[in-house]
Amino acid sequence: MSRAARGPVGDVGRLLPALSSALRPRPHDELRAWGGPPLVLGKRVLDLGCGDGRLALGIAPLATRVDGIDPDAGAIAAAKANARKAGVRNVRFAAGAAQDLPYPDAAFDVVILSWTL
Amino acid sequence: MVDALAEIHRVLAPGGTLVDARPDSRVLAYADRRKPRGFQRFGVVKTNRLELANDRASDRAVARVVREGLFKSKRRGRFWHLVPFSSIAELRKYLSEHLRFVHRATWVVDSATRKRHSNDSFVIRRAVRYEILEARGSPRNISARAK
Repeated sequence: MSRAARGPVGDVGRLLPALSSALRPRPHDELRAWGGPPLVLGKRVLDLGCGDGRLALGIAPLATRVDGIDPDAGAIAAAKANARKAGVRNVRFAAGAAQDLPYPDAAFDVVILSWTL
Repeated sequence: MVDALAEIHRVLAPGGTLVDARPDSRVLAYADRRKPRGFQRFGVVKTNRLELANDRASDRAVARVVREGLFKSKRRGRFWHLVPFSSIAELRKYLSEHLRFVHRATWVVDSATRKRHSNDSFVIRRAVRYEILEARGSPRNISARAK
C-alpha cells in the first residue's frame, strides 16, 4: 500500500490505500449499500481521495460528470491512465488537497469520501 | 478534518449529498476459513491503536459539522466486505503489511487446526460503515463558522 503525500493535506487521505484498491469493495457494491444508482444518476460527482480512480471510473457511466482528486500525484497518474484505458470521457482527475479544493462554490451535487476521511 | 468538511460543504450545491464511507473499526474484523457452505471462524483481527484514534477523530469531525449546521445526517448503515486469500500464509502476509490492522490475528482455533487447513481458502471479513449527509444552509457563512 502506498502512503499519500504529506504536508498541507493533513490527515485526509494520509492512509489512502491507492494501490490496494483491488482489495476494496467493488464500486457497484458500495453504491448499492449507499442507496443505489439514483444517488449519482445524472449528477455532478466529486470523488475526494480518489486514488487510482477505482470508484470514480465505476460510477462514471451513471453520472453526468465525475471529478476525482487526490493528494498522491502518482495515484492521479494511475487514475488518468485507467480512464484512458477504459475509454471514459466524463471523468477528470487532479492532484490536490481536501482543504483547498480547486473547484467553484456549489460545483457538485454529490461528494464521496470513500475510505478517505 | 473539519476544514476539509467545510471545504466540501463549499463545493456542494445546497441540498447536495456527502457520502462518508470507511472501514468500521468499532467492530472487530474476522479471519474466516471458507467451507463448502459458509465460513469457519479462525481468528479476530483488531485495528491498531493509531487508526482507532484517527477513526474517532473522524467521527468527532463529522459530528461537529452536523452540530454546526453544515450537514444534516440522512441515513447511516454498515455492510461487510470480504477480502479473499488462497491460504493462511497469504492472509498472514496481508496482515503483516496492513496499515490499519494489527499485524497478527488473534486465533480462536488451535495451531493443529490452523496447520491442517493452512492451504484452504480464507477471507478477512471487515465492516464498512457509511453515512449519507445533506449539505445545509449558506456555504459561505457556515464554512467561516466551522473553521
